[in-house]
Amino acid sequence: MSMTTAKTDEVAKETPAPATPSDQRERERMRRRLARRRGGGWWPFLFLAPWFVGLFGLTIYPMLDSLYLSFTNFDLLTPAKWVGTHNYERMFSDDPVFWDSVHATLLYVLVSVPLKLALALGVAMLLNRDIKGIGLYRAAFYLPSLLGGAVAIAIVWRQVFGGDGLFNDFLAWFGIKGQDWISSPDTAIYTLILLAVWQFGTPMVIFLAGLKQLPKDVYEAAAIDGAPPVTRFFKITLPLLTPIVFFNVVLQMIDAFKTFTPAYVVSNGSGGPLNSTMLYSLYLYKKGFTDLQMGYASALAWVLFLVIAGFTAVNFIASRYWVHYDD
Amino acid sequence: MGTEISRRGLLRIGGGLAATGALTSALAACSGGTGAGSTSSKLTMTWWGSDERHAAYKKALAAFQKKNPSIKVQATYQGYDGYFDKFNTNIAGGSAPDLLQMDTALVAQYARKGVLAPIDSYVGKSLDLTGFSKTLLAAGTVDGKLYGVPSGIGVNQLTVNRSGLEALGLKLPDQDWTWADLKSISEQVYKKSGGKTYGVDDGGGSALQCFEIFAREKGEQFFSDDGKKVGFTSDTLQEWWEYWAEMRKIHASGPAAITSAAHNDLTKNAVVIGKALFTFDSGVYGAGGKITDAQLDFLPTPQGDWSGAREGNFVNGGVLLSATKASKKVADSVKIMSFIAQDATAIKDFQLLRGIPPTEKARNLIASGLTETDKLNMANADYIATRVSKATNALAAPAAPPQGADQIWDLLFQSNLAVAFGKKTIKAQLSEFFDQAAGILSA
Repeated sequence: MSMTTAKTDEVAKETPAPATPSDQRERERMRRRLARRRGGGWWPFLFLAPWFVGLFGLTIYPMLDSLYLSFTNFDLLTPAKWVGTHNYERMFSDDPVFWDSVHATLLYVLVSVPLKLALALGVAMLLNRDIKGIGLYRAAFYLPSLLGGAVAIAIVWRQVFGGDGLFNDFLAWFGIKGQDWISSPDTAIYTLILLAVWQFGTPMVIFLAGLKQLPKDVYEAAAIDGAPPVTRFFKITLPLLTPIVFFNVVLQMIDAFKTFTPAYVVSNGSGGPLNSTMLYSLYLYKKGFTDLQMGYASALAWVLFLVIAGFTAVNFIASRYWVHYDD
Repeated sequence: MGTEISRRGLLRIGGGLAATGALTSALAACSGGTGAGSTSSKLTMTWWGSDERHAAYKKALAAFQKKNPSIKVQATYQGYDGYFDKFNTNIAGGSAPDLLQMDTALVAQYARKGVLAPIDSYVGKSLDLTGFSKTLLAAGTVDGKLYGVPSGIGVNQLTVNRSGLEALGLKLPDQDWTWADLKSISEQVYKKSGGKTYGVDDGGGSALQCFEIFAREKGEQFFSDDGKKVGFTSDTLQEWWEYWAEMRKIHASGPAAITSAAHNDLTKNAVVIGKALFTFDSGVYGAGGKITDAQLDFLPTPQGDWSGAREGNFVNGGVLLSATKASKKVADSVKIMSFIAQDATAIKDFQLLRGIPPTEKARNLIASGLTETDKLNMANADYIATRVSKATNALAAPAAPPQGADQIWDLLFQSNLAVAFGKKTIKAQLSEFFDQAAGILSA
């Protein structure tokens, strides 16, 4: 389904020339040659082998092992004992911290992803021009997302938003008395959301690439028609960009669900005041490695997997209604 | 391909980015790799502590290796945060260290899971424990077997910023002070400093050195004898939380935000950042005393001021040195334990960095090299130890904490914090606490 205006139809599209007899014979010959090569022995598998070893050894086998462990009470130190679905039952009925962490994670994902993408798109639009030094500006906006996941940045964040950090100094210029943003259960999660939104560089670059591919003729036609910039954005740019938006939404959402390092460093490993920054991965880590409940942590991991898969599936199904592809 | 985005084009961009992403993260992971666990030739040892403690250990090990050239030691060290997470992972991965510094609070858990090696068979032979009292060795004993050599004596005390007190014109309270005395002097600190400094950091969520002593003053141990329940009653905890709610109200102790920031972070401790003058956190002095410029002094945990209040303080075993069962070098590890416990130079190097030295001989050896603060600490510890031994109605020293103890302490901290932030009333939090505690300990 493609969104093309009447004007675009007039643009001549290149159609392939009709096939001549000699073309057809050439194609037959190629097909036969390839058919012989396709039985090409074991070489393909040999080249694929390292990747398969990685896939099975480092991904599929550990996943299956973790699935098995989720039905045991493995504590890292002694052999695992089967307990059936006890871990899953406990998770949903007997663990208030689990719900705290679900709440924190959902809040984090549902606030940071839209904000991040909106900012990314906005900045991409601003950077989509050909002025002097534009490369420098683009690099500058992209830089935070390169550094972002690092422990060092999270440590800096902890200092900046602490009781006597830079942010409060900044607020003091305006006469506002700041509080300890990191140590208050009402604000701590928002410092993490801010850290996520600050790393909008990666989706921004993708949006920029998408913006550059947009057809100029549509905009010319809209300008002739006298459409104001806002209309141009909402009726032309955004619909044409929906595949990119979809791509970014899926990727950023999956990423946000898995966030660990900022939560761990900013809350100093504790999950923040009153579990307000106990993102799901952090809770999983704490249960598995600190409290030595690796069976339970494995169950947590599988629930996260299913939740992310569920959200992604919903995204894909919904995409049929709002994403406009060219083909 | 048309000039509009096609699905194929989209996937192409996506694939390229994903590949770059995977490559950079793989490279990052590579560069962060650590060395492998114990090789067959070196004995691996690990401990936590301050920079001063690291230096002392390294000196002692160098001296040991000179005397025993056949034993080579490879040491790693870090702060307390994450130390046991790392240890857990190492055990699971099969790269556990041969010798490690062990927490008296966790030794029972690890011993019962078969992680630590019992060292009774070496006592009197390659493990020289002369001068170690039976009560002291109890700190490293689990179910009748010795699993770790105590480093010394620890007592439950508060660390005080004495120069701060004197600057406000206040005197250090008497060593037999009570909880009421703590409240009054803390309130005075707040008033005299014009509201800039609180008296004490919030102890409502601190078990060690703090609530544990209060409960013992009421005749209740923190954990029940079998370790399956908490040993104190709901009334005791309620009284405790009400005391601290009152303290916060009159600004004798700091607000919830300060308490939350200080959790697991010594650099944000209220005394260290100058927001309070009394703290229950022994790490302030334990960090080599260099973490704050003030002159520190020490006081025992306050006593109960109701009739029938018992002596709540007790003497604990400092830190332990333990060998892991999976190690093939237990005999060598034991030699190191013995050296650190008895060698004169090692004792002098450690001074008070691992607690007050356990033997009379050791204490005499270090007497000359102590700083002012060290002397005050030892004097206070001696006073407490004497008072404990003379007490007629004190409960026996607590047994090694059961499995899940650290989760209970964390639960106490979080519960108090919820009350301090005003998220829960004391009554509501009480029932939730006991529910969750029961779940943790019976699991």
